[in-house]
Amino acid sequence: MSGEFKPSRLGPQSGEVIDRSATIRFTWDSKVMTGFAGDTIASALMANGVRIVSRSMKYHRPRGYMTADYWDPNGFVQVGDDPNVRSGHRLLEPGMTIDPQNVWPSLDHDVKAANGFVGRFLTAGFYYKTFIRPQRLWPAFEKVLSTFAPGGTVDLDTPHRLHDKRYAHPDVVVAGGGPAGMAAAIAAAEAGARVMLVEHEHHLGGHLLWGSDEDRALAAKMRDAADVAGVEILTDSTVTGRYEDNWVSIVQRNHPLAVERLIKARATSLVVAPGLIERPYVFAGNDKPGVMLSGAVRRMINMYAVKPGSRAVVLTANADGDAAVADLRDVGVEVARVVDARAGENVASANGPGRTVESVTLGDGTSIDCDLLVTAVGWTAPTSLLNMAADRPVYDATAARFFPGGPIDTVLSTGGLTGDGTVEQLVEHGRATGRLAAERSAVAKHRIQAHTARAAPVSGDEPAWPHDLRAALGRDPHPELFRSTTHGIVDFSEDVSSKDLVGAAAEGFDSVELLKRFTTATMGPSQGKLETVNTVAVLAEARGETIEEVGTTVWRPPYAPITLGALAGRIFEPVRVSSIQPWHEANGAVDILAGAWKRPEHYGDPAAEVMNTRTNVGIIDVTPLGKLDLQGPDVPKLLSQLYTNKWMQLPVGSVRYGIMCAEDGVVLDDGVTARLGDEHYLMTTTSSGAATIWEWAENWLQTEHPEWQVHVTPVTTGLCSINIAGPNSRTLLGRLCPDIDLDPDAFPYMHVRTGTVAGVDDCIAWRIGFTGELSYEIHVPSGYGLHVWNALLDAGADLGIKPFGLEAQRIMRLEKGHFIVGQDTDGLTKAPSTGLAPLIKLDKDDFAGKAELGWALDEFASAESKAPRLVAIQPTDPTVVPHEASQIVRAGTNEILGRITSSRMSPTLGRSICLGQVAIDAAAPGTMLTIVLADGTRTTAEVMARHAHFDPEGERLRG
Amino acid sequence: MVDPNSVNPVFESPITSTNSGSAGTSIGTSADQAALTLADESSLTKTLIRAEPRTKAERQLDVVFGASRLVDGVVISGQRPSEWLVIGEANDVSTFVDRIDREGHVSLVDHTHSRAMMRLTGLDASRVLEKVCSLDWSSEMTPNGAVVSASVAKVGCDIVRNDTFRHGSALASSAPTEVIPPSYWIACDRSFAQYLFDAILDAGQEFGLLPA
Amino acid sequence: MLLVPCPHCGPRNASDLSYKGESHARPDPNSATAEEWRSYLYMEDNPAGWLRETWYCRSGCRRFFVLERDTATNEFRNPPVPGAKLGGKA
Repeated sequence: MSGEFKPSRLGPQSGEVIDRSATIRFTWDSKVMTGFAGDTIASALMANGVRIVSRSMKYHRPRGYMTADYWDPNGFVQVGDDPNVRSGHRLLEPGMTIDPQNVWPSLDHDVKAANGFVGRFLTAGFYYKTFIRPQRLWPAFEKVLSTFAPGGTVDLDTPHRLHDKRYAHPDVVVAGGGPAGMAAAIAAAEAGARVMLVEHEHHLGGHLLWGSDEDRALAAKMRDAADVAGVEILTDSTVTGRYEDNWVSIVQRNHPLAVERLIKARATSLVVAPGLIERPYVFAGNDKPGVMLSGAVRRMINMYAVKPGSRAVVLTANADGDAAVADLRDVGVEVARVVDARAGENVASANGPGRTVESVTLGDGTSIDCDLLVTAVGWTAPTSLLNMAADRPVYDATAARFFPGGPIDTVLSTGGLTGDGTVEQLVEHGRATGRLAAERSAVAKHRIQAHTARAAPVSGDEPAWPHDLRAALGRDPHPELFRSTTHGIVDFSEDVSSKDLVGAAAEGFDSVELLKRFTTATMGPSQGKLETVNTVAVLAEARGETIEEVGTTVWRPPYAPITLGALAGRIFEPVRVSSIQPWHEANGAVDILAGAWKRPEHYGDPAAEVMNTRTNVGIIDVTPLGKLDLQGPDVPKLLSQLYTNKWMQLPVGSVRYGIMCAEDGVVLDDGVTARLGDEHYLMTTTSSGAATIWEWAENWLQTEHPEWQVHVTPVTTGLCSINIAGPNSRTLLGRLCPDIDLDPDAFPYMHVRTGTVAGVDDCIAWRIGFTGELSYEIHVPSGYGLHVWNALLDAGADLGIKPFGLEAQRIMRLEKGHFIVGQDTDGLTKAPSTGLAPLIKLDKDDFAGKAELGWALDEFASAESKAPRLVAIQPTDPTVVPHEASQIVRAGTNEILGRITSSRMSPTLGRSICLGQVAIDAAAPGTMLTIVLADGTRTTAEVMARHAHFDPEGERLRG
Repeated sequence: MVDPNSVNPVFESPITSTNSGSAGTSIGTSADQAALTLADESSLTKTLIRAEPRTKAERQLDVVFGASRLVDGVVISGQRPSEWLVIGEANDVSTFVDRIDREGHVSLVDHTHSRAMMRLTGLDASRVLEKVCSLDWSSEMTPNGAVVSASVAKVGCDIVRNDTFRHGSALASSAPTEVIPPSYWIACDRSFAQYLFDAILDAGQEFGLLPA
Repeated sequence: MLLVPCPHCGPRNASDLSYKGESHARPDPNSATAEEWRSYLYMEDNPAGWLRETWYCRSGCRRFFVLERDTATNEFRNPPVPGAKLGGKA
């Protein structure tokens, strides 16, 4: 017997899910083939006689379909630009281009398989042994890995495809749509619960789909009943994880508008009903194409009308194996031998000089020719979701599988996972489980609703917690069959054999968690669904212990691998703009993203914007500046608590600058606060600090000083803020402010006035000087911001008005030596380092950071101080602008003394200027510093006496 | 040169483009017919009132945290403990606010320019919200009149569900058999308004959401 | 994701709140030794069991509050004495 037989499509089967009226053309490995709508790629390929679909990961052994479903470790293919597609699951579509992956030069003649080097190189534990050292060999390792590691081809030009996301709040999520899961969903919905039923496969029904006609009729009836009961049914969808408080992640793969949709569901109750997964048997040649599990054979025959072979040997230990024998005979496959494991019979090896199975050697040495070997040796209970709810499954030797460990209030399990029984018994258990889940959900919901402020009132007292009175399912005895007398593959996706496991155990990796990580068994794309129990069994045998004693690994999320696209879901990237943004965009602004704010960096020439502002007048949109409205009799106390300086005596109409520190003394924020009225203040913060400082203020008010009467309200974008700077700013503003006296004596520097600007009432104007020029910052109600901006441009046309952007502002503030929190300070910069020690008032009773700042000031004054100093720096060569973060080192050495924190070419001075943090012994004025430039060369620079490079006396801004 | 002081300033909404979402898949062709709409109501007057417990103002407002009611043409929304937003037409709001007793620690801030507002209305409105917000929008958890603050498309929002009343007046009572579609006021910081409007429109595309 | 029982809003996703750490009394900055102050800043009890924590309901009611949580089971309960402590150090 040879491997020449072509499996083929059978005549119509009563349970087939294919539509024979819809023929689909596709290509496999460049050959044109046809299938039917409803086919999976696997069923279509098998119907076309394809027996070898892939090469194994390490040894490049030919592989065929073994489970022919989602979990098949051998069925990964490339579909168009989509790599690693599970062909046992993905439905066939017209025009699909399907190719094998992990083969070179071709599936039939794979060079790597003949290369003994590969096998020797990739032994168990090779990751650990090989990659520890030497480091210099890493590039070589990488090259080897990228050549031999499995996987398809990633096309970087693949068009973007929509992935979506939604939230859901079902009362009950049922994971698994077999008979028990469907029954649970129906019963829960009939009890009044909102139910989401999630089935991993394309059809509800589970094993009923490949069972008898009666089974399928029942499945159809229950599908209809679920619909009628209002169950939200998600097929081709997977519950991938269960997290704290039944936060359940579901990946929906068949959404009409999106490739995948991630559903984040808060399930009041979760019912786990995934059924059982058939376990492969470990023996020599168990990975040869032609070795299939009984479920795969029955699905192929009954659901897809595909004949899986012509002459079969069946190893059976249970009723499903017996049913496979009957199915094979029904469709004309010769069953050459039924090997009954219950009678002590066994299979020792699958053989064939060729690439597929040609004969089987039994335990007693008999050899039988065949092209198909079917095994039915037992089940793995996929308890993953229970594990994620902290359940620890327990092994039962009599039934030869693991069972859930203990009850969990709102995570219930049903179906094959919990026991055996007739279909009627499974359905009955499912119904009881669904009812219990719904009842418990109702109690939990009653409690949540009663405690939620916005919710509708609940009627009556909270019902009593429903007890679990379900009759447990039985457990059928089953022989323990894991490994034959020979060694074979345990993990098909990772190419790990039982021999590898025994060897690793002998090397000392003899705990199951260690063994798993060392050999990578169970760590492939099947996520242990096929391999875990065999791994444990082989280890138990090697240790001479029982499976209970060895225990099992803990299944963590995800239940099945998730694509990055599904995790990314619908991406929200909020963008903030000021009311003037439409004008900026229409007038050539180059935007910069500062946090979430989109704002003009410049309008073409930032240096010209600087010069115009210094010469005439410029306006800048500074709306992102954080603004907090403060009201109440105790505002001065709050200000004193937050700022390091004094605030109890600020007169109405005045503005004061301050810095804020965290409790560790590190500079947190800075800005000015104005007193608008007796009990009314306006605080400004940095743009990036706005949210933090609001929270910081609330923190103090709500925790340490609830007795203070202060209301803090963020008004950042309620007020559109415009800074008017330059020698002509007073003239300009005077044209628009009929009711504010701008005379320098009436409205001096660091004062605030309220009034009308360009016809807009309730505007605030204050005189401050971040740019170093005479300047007014006006805050106008945002709905009128664009109007005021336009009015300023109109009114200032003859005064040389030009807008300027963030970059010009940054240049001008650097010329003035003003630091920016977060730019010139960092997460370790305590207030004294900024040069503002005089603003730290230790004689105040309390303020944030007071304790640390007291010690910091002492330390700062000592000669051994390690605290850096912020100083102004000018490179000797005025054309050199060291990039920000350039290191400052001790001349002739690599000893780091500090770094450049800000640097620009100053258009006003015609030279490069910097701020930098340096150590105390390099901070004295006149000190020559050595700066390491980006290209590694060094340049010299001088420490300046004052922070301001320009107009150090501040004559311009006080004018 | 036009005297800028003589120009009468006109309030501008932060939502300057109401059709920047991609074309909807709705059967309806215009917003008038659409069963699911998103409307810009940013120009409404909003006043934030803070009043400490046991003040006269608190008794006048008479709305608990998480609830809202219509009184004298304005909607009073209990949006945080001891904090209310009064929403309506300018005259109605100022009339109402003027009557608030200021004794004790009571403060007012005009939020008209701080908060943008949009209204999402339609039978599928809660399904749209499910795509942009993690809260439970069922009628048990968020009934008509409910007020809640939450992150919507990653923007902090205050939401008022009012199917049966608007500022100005209660809606004309529908025929008893007619299903009243849910309607939500969504208020966010003005600077996020255009982004949020577009994000909600995009998320609602599959349900045929159209700008109104 | 953990559901945190906000005393004002009701149960909310943990991502709606910000966790402000263990709830410890702030020492008097005028008399605290450096060791006491830095213990306040940086040291946590981190027990496996009941723990007093400060939370801030950032997306909801914007209130600071204290809850007790069993760190081994994530069960919450109201503290015998309410009243939040300064949460976080900045």
